[in-house]
Amino acid sequence: MTPFHPSRRQLLAMIGRVAGAGAMYQAMTSLGFAAESGYTGEVALQGPRRGRRVLILGAGIAGMAAAYEMRRAGYEVKILEYQDRSGGRCLTLRGGDRYTEMGGHEIACDFEGDGFFNPGPWRLPVHHRAVFDYCRKLGVQVNPFIIKNNKAYLHSAHAFGGRPQRIGHVEKDMRGHVSELLAKSLNQGALDGAVTAEDREMLLEGLKGWGVLDRHYAYRASDDVGGVRGWDIRPGGGLMPEKRPSEPVDLSALLQSGLWEQLFGFNSYSFEPPMFEPAGGMDAITDAFAREVSDVIQLNARVIRIAQGEAGVTVTYEDGDQGGAVREETADWCICTIPLSVLVQLEVDCSDALRKAIAAVPYASAFKVALEFRRRFWEQDDEILGGISYTDLPLVQIAYPSYGFLSDGPAVLQAAYDTATAGRNFTYSWSTMTPQERIDAALALGRRIHPQYDAEFMSGTSWVWHRVDWSLGCYGQWTEELRDAHYTTLCEIDNRLVLAGEHCSHIPAWLEGSLLSALDAIKRLDQRENA
Amino acid sequence: MQRQTLIVLAALTLLTTAAPAQQDAPPAQTEPQAQAPQQAQAIDTLLSRFSDNPDRFTQTDGEALYRTTCQACHMEDGKGAAGAGAHPPLAGNPKLMSKHFLAGVILTGYHGMPRFGDQMSDEQIAAVTNYVRSNFGNDFPDPITPDQVSRLRPQENED
Repeated sequence: MTPFHPSRRQLLAMIGRVAGAGAMYQAMTSLGFAAESGYTGEVALQGPRRGRRVLILGAGIAGMAAAYEMRRAGYEVKILEYQDRSGGRCLTLRGGDRYTEMGGHEIACDFEGDGFFNPGPWRLPVHHRAVFDYCRKLGVQVNPFIIKNNKAYLHSAHAFGGRPQRIGHVEKDMRGHVSELLAKSLNQGALDGAVTAEDREMLLEGLKGWGVLDRHYAYRASDDVGGVRGWDIRPGGGLMPEKRPSEPVDLSALLQSGLWEQLFGFNSYSFEPPMFEPAGGMDAITDAFAREVSDVIQLNARVIRIAQGEAGVTVTYEDGDQGGAVREETADWCICTIPLSVLVQLEVDCSDALRKAIAAVPYASAFKVALEFRRRFWEQDDEILGGISYTDLPLVQIAYPSYGFLSDGPAVLQAAYDTATAGRNFTYSWSTMTPQERIDAALALGRRIHPQYDAEFMSGTSWVWHRVDWSLGCYGQWTEELRDAHYTTLCEIDNRLVLAGEHCSHIPAWLEGSLLSALDAIKRLDQRENA
Repeated sequence: MQRQTLIVLAALTLLTTAAPAQQDAPPAQTEPQAQAPQQAQAIDTLLSRFSDNPDRFTQTDGEALYRTTCQACHMEDGKGAAGAGAHPPLAGNPKLMSKHFLAGVILTGYHGMPRFGDQMSDEQIAAVTNYVRSNFGNDFPDPITPDQVSRLRPQENED
C-alpha cells in the first residue's frame, strides 16, 4: 500500500474539520460555501408611483425571479436572453438533447430510459429557504435526494488493493478506534488536567456506547459491533446460518488510506441531510418560473452594449430571430444577470470601480459526465440505493440516482464531477477533453470501482462549463481578498444599472445565491424608485 | 502546525494494534478485461493528461501543460472560440509579444480566466508560456526563464 501523504492544504483541512470546526467554518464562510441563507420571507415591494420599465438581461433564475416580483409590484418588465431557452445554468439533459459547445463539438444525450442529467445545480439544502419558498409557491414537487448513503463507497487507488470500502464501515471504525484511544488516555490519567474525575467517568461510559467499546474499552468484533457496522453473516430466519459480526478495519490502514479524509465532505452544512431535488430534473424549478414570465422573455437576443444616462438605460442587442439585426431597448432601470466572465467583454457604461469589479472575478472550472447503463447494478449487486461514492481517482465522485429505485431497464449515473473550489486540478484536465474522450475517461476510471461498467454501458454525455459560451466558466470564484476589494461595488446600484446573480451573493454557485441576489437588488431598486 | 499533525498521526498509527482484514466488503476489484492493445494505449495516453497530484500539476513539458489546462478554452489549435462571450485566440495574438504579460496572466488570471500560479511552479509557467509563444504560428524569439517568472509572482501566491 502506498502511504497517504497529505499535502499541507489537506492537513490543514483535516485539522480544521477534526480538531477545530470553527477555523474551518470561518474559511468556508469566506468562500461562501457554508453561508446561512439570508432569506427572510416574501419580498415586499412598494411598486412605482407611475409607469416604470425595467429591462432584465438574462433569463436564468435571478432574472426570472426579478421579473416575476417586479411585475407583481406594478413595474413593466422585459427580459432579453441570449439562448433559445430560459433557465440559465439550471438545466437538465434528457435523451434526444443536443448541445454544441465552444470548439464545435456536439454533446449528444442518447439516454433511452427516463434518467436525466443536471449539468449545473442538482440538489437543494433545506436551509436554502428562498428556493423552497418558490418551489412551494410555484408548485414544484421536490423529492428526497440521498446525499449520504452508508452503503456507498470511499475509494483510493492506493489503498486496500484498490477495493472500495463502505462509507458506514469507515465512519464507524474511525469512531470506534478514536473512542478506544481516548478511553486509553483517560484511563492512564493522561487527561486528568483537562477533565474532572466525575466527568472522566461519564466520558468513559459515553465512549463505550458511542464507539461501541467492550468492557475493556476495546473496539473489536462483537455482536454489539455487528449491530452497528453490519455482519459477515447477517441474522436470518428459520434454520439459516448463525449470524457473525463483521470485522473492523485496522486504524493504521484507515489512516494511511486517506479514506478518513474523504468522509469530511459529509460534515459540510451545505450537504447536511436531508437534501432534496425537484422531481424529474432540476429544470423543473426554472421551468416553473418560466411559466410565470415567459410572455416577457425575448429569446435569441445577444446583448452587445449597455448605455445609461440620468434618464434611463439603452441596451443594444443582436436579434437572432431577425437575422442578427441590431436593435435597442430602452428602460428606466436595468437588472443585468449576465455572468461577469461574459459581461467584462461587453461595452458597459458604468463607474470605473464597477468596471474593475466586473473584471476582477475569475470563473471557476467545473465539469460533469453522466453514463447510462442497462441495469441498476449498483442497487442489484452492491446494495447502493442513492447517495454518492468518493474516490481519489480523477473522476472524484459517482452519484447514484435518488429516483426510480428497484426499476428494471436503463438508469443514469452522474459518473464524474468536480469543481475548482475543492482545489483539485482534475477539472481543468477533464475540460480539455472532447465529449467522447470524457466518456472514455469516465468509463476507464469508473470500472475500477464498478467493474460492471464494461458489460452494462449504453451511452454517455457530459458538460464542461468553460466550453459554454454564455457563461465561460461555472461560477464566480471569489476569494476573501476579492470580496474585500470589489463585492460591495459589484452589488451597488450604478446610476440606472444593478447586477444580480450568484456572483452577487455570498452563496456562489447555488440557486439560493442567485435568488437572494435578485431579491435584494429589486428591493433596493424599488427603494430608489420611491426615494 | 503541519509538523505537529504528522506527529499526532504517526502516534495514532503506532498506538494501534493490527486488526484482522476487513470482511463484509464490496466485491473484489476485477482485473480489466483484455482490451485491444491500441485501445488500451489510447486510454493510457488520455488518462496521462491528469496530473498525478491533484494539488499541483505534475507535467513539466510546455505542450503537456497546455494540453491539460489551456486547451480547455483556447482549444487544440490555439484559436480560442467565440459565441456570447469569447475565449481569445493565442494564435497570432499581438498581446503575446510580451512574455511578461502572458506569464503574468497564467500566474494571476485575467478577467474570467482563473489563475494557475498556485498550481504550477516557476519552471512550469515558463515552459507553458514559451510553448504558447512558439507554437500556433507564433514565433517569438525571447523565451522567459523560471527566474523571470518568479519575479512576476505575487507574494500571496506563495504556498
